[in-house]
Amino acid sequence: MRLWSYILRRVLLLAPMFVGITLLSFALSHAVPADPVTANLGEHGAADPQVVAAFRHRWGLDRPLPEQYGIYIWNLLHGDMGVSISTRQPVITDLRQRLPGTIELATAAMIIGMALSIPLGILSAVNRDSIVDQIARVGSLVGVSMPVFWLGLVGILIFYARLGWAPSPGRLSMQVPPPPFETGFVIIDALLAGRMDAAVDALHHLVLPALVLSAYSVGVITRMMRGSMLEVLAEDYVRTARAKGLPGWIVVLRHAARNGLIPVVTIVGLSFGGLLSGAVVTETVFAWPGLGSYAFGSATSLDFPAIMGVGIVVATVYILVNLLVDVAYALIDPRIRVG
Amino acid sequence: MAGPAWDVVLPSGMSRRSFLRLVGGSVGWSLAGSVIGTQRTTAGAASRELSLLVGTQLTMKSLDPGRTIEASAYTLNHATYDSLVTFSGEDLRNPKPSLAMSWSVSADGRAYTFKLRPNVKFVSGNPLTSADVKWSLDRVINLNSTTKFLVDGIAEVLAPDPQTVVIHLKTLQPSIIPILSSSSLGVLDSKVVIANGGDAGPDAKTKDQAEPYLNSHSPGTGAFILTSYAPNQEVVLMKNPAHWRGAAKIDRIVTRNIEEPAAEQLQLGRGDLDVATGIGPDQLQALKGVQGVGVKTSLIANTFYVLMNNNPTIGGPFSNRKVQQAVRYALDYDGIMRIAGQGAVRLAGVIPTLFPGSLDSKDAVKTDRVKARALLKEANLGEVRGRITYRAGGSSWGVQLDLLVQKIQTDLVEVGMKVDLNGLASLTALQEYRDGKNQIGVWGWTADWPDASNFLVYVPGGVVGKRAGWPADATPDAAALAKLGQEAESEVDNRKRAALYQQVDRRLMEIGPYVPLFQPAVPYAFRSNVSGVTFNSVWGPDLYAISKTG
Repeated sequence: MRLWSYILRRVLLLAPMFVGITLLSFALSHAVPADPVTANLGEHGAADPQVVAAFRHRWGLDRPLPEQYGIYIWNLLHGDMGVSISTRQPVITDLRQRLPGTIELATAAMIIGMALSIPLGILSAVNRDSIVDQIARVGSLVGVSMPVFWLGLVGILIFYARLGWAPSPGRLSMQVPPPPFETGFVIIDALLAGRMDAAVDALHHLVLPALVLSAYSVGVITRMMRGSMLEVLAEDYVRTARAKGLPGWIVVLRHAARNGLIPVVTIVGLSFGGLLSGAVVTETVFAWPGLGSYAFGSATSLDFPAIMGVGIVVATVYILVNLLVDVAYALIDPRIRVG
Repeated sequence: MAGPAWDVVLPSGMSRRSFLRLVGGSVGWSLAGSVIGTQRTTAGAASRELSLLVGTQLTMKSLDPGRTIEASAYTLNHATYDSLVTFSGEDLRNPKPSLAMSWSVSADGRAYTFKLRPNVKFVSGNPLTSADVKWSLDRVINLNSTTKFLVDGIAEVLAPDPQTVVIHLKTLQPSIIPILSSSSLGVLDSKVVIANGGDAGPDAKTKDQAEPYLNSHSPGTGAFILTSYAPNQEVVLMKNPAHWRGAAKIDRIVTRNIEEPAAEQLQLGRGDLDVATGIGPDQLQALKGVQGVGVKTSLIANTFYVLMNNNPTIGGPFSNRKVQQAVRYALDYDGIMRIAGQGAVRLAGVIPTLFPGSLDSKDAVKTDRVKARALLKEANLGEVRGRITYRAGGSSWGVQLDLLVQKIQTDLVEVGMKVDLNGLASLTALQEYRDGKNQIGVWGWTADWPDASNFLVYVPGGVVGKRAGWPADATPDAAALAKLGQEAESEVDNRKRAALYQQVDRRLMEIGPYVPLFQPAVPYAFRSNVSGVTFNSVWGPDLYAISKTG
């Protein structure tokens, strides 16, 4: 019951958080020393007062800032996030089209990241200073240090251009007509439409960008897992377990790894947020139409409704992931009490 | 509990187990393909069509012709709509009939009568009439949108009979003919657009609601039909089998946004793209040696120039005419042309060489540092110190602005000036430029329609003139130059008009606060089984002219 009431309280806290997020996004995007007129009207249009006035009126920019904010919040409460200046579509439609691409990419990267880094961290700690440990340490350092942009281009160069293992950048090959839009997750939409060619093609396209995007998480989580495991392996209860004659792998997996995972859970949660931010670059390199490239485009054209929409979505994901991390804490370690 | 939910999600007739098997199989297949490298995607049904895959930086806000002047939208709208007149390939000098078969000018030069091509049909099957032309132009006039500057000179559009359109101008404006070639002035099927929220009346700026429709449909007479548009992602066009010039040679064109030029280069190299128009000079060089790939550059009607602010409060020493002349002589133009890239052409004035009325490149200022130092001495201002504002990290038509600005800084330092670099984020830099607050700026101006009149923005009181702190009434010299610009713009005799533009350009070089540098050339590449790829400075590739074998 205490867990449920904690979750409920955290969910209720979302409302004031949203107000804070919208206020902050609104204030920051209006603090930029540039005018949406500059970003959205051509040279001639920006020099014509009539055109500028019509533009400001159309997008509600001719009203005082507090009124603009008030209207935005009022519309938001009615489920309307406004219309994007950059795409001329409702922001909700844009987000529905873009968010699945990023979630698909970030989730795949997270799965790859965890699948590689947790075993690697454990192996590295158990075989401290061995060749495996050295490789894991260097590998994680490389993962943390390499800019995603560079890694992406090198990945494309090697696996696409040279070896031909990876398909061309994008969510689907240009020759493959996209499946009808249902969920926005191309693989799922393709399966729903019975389009195996598109589903396989989409999966194929996901592998390389997800691997590239996971590099940073792999590095961070491996290092954290290794450090955490080294600490736990030195604990008395691990020594006791060994003294009782339990097989080594049982000691490592059942006694040490479960406790070693606790700090890693936090990092995994934070990494997911990082993946969303990292996706901006990865999406650019891999021509991946997701939220990252949408956020970048919105920011560079001072598309206020879109900037606010992206801010709300990203913040929501962060908040929910943090909530999940807290809940996972309680589940992994019964000693931790929430609330 | 999960049963009903799965039933909702799964295709009919598919069990949960088959679904999982399918997903698992897909993952395995894909991963195996990735690792072993044996699996290549097949195009399926779509491969039976002749498809053209185009990679570009597809950035546009709208496909509504009346609301967009962006390069990508121009390319696509040029393929889906037709205007009254057009230009062939890369030519910007000789307007050709398009929907108008012929035109004539009234004796006073202020009324243009167009005879429409008979038997032209819109994609809906509706016949093209003069009412559609009038409605389309009226809509642009009344939308008060970013395209308004194109029709500012039009007083009235009349449709006296179904095949005749008469355009009355407010003043003499012979550039109306090239202006009418703009993709923004493409003719819409008025009945269809009205039925979908279109309005061309005086209140169109608030009443017109056709933009969403025009972002998903193309009710024009063009060679292609818009079939899907995902903003900033992908646009798909299918050929219009009933197009009046005959159906296009390509069945389907997929244009995809590829932000990263290096990725575009690799895709073209491997044959996953047919045409790449978003590459830079580095990619052009890399693709030169690749088998099965052709590369080209085409001149762009753009002027790269240095602006110095004539307003002493902002320009400081750089508002002094002798200092401005010194800057002209101080620059190492050979070095600058190396940065400008392959195909770029040195400019003697602000009007690109693609237009009648431009100055010959041979007459461009030559580097003369002795003269530059002498001019600085004559100016007698002591230390000449300034700040160049530009878009840091930006590139324009493949020219890396950081490199260009650093080169200019080095050249000015050579003659004793002290210049700091003020690289700003793109929007901030543009804002400062448009607000007329650049002390020194490095910018480019691209023609929005194929005519030298575009470049009258540089005269005192023009759009760029104001940004350079040079209003029309700044000095008697400035007022005279502004008047000369107006004369050039309204001269109906082609030969005299070209001579007047040259006069304007020469005078700008004598008293203007600008240093014209070069006109760039856009690099692009295509597979060798693709032919007919050209790059028009205003609307980019003419998709109708492209053909492909195999």
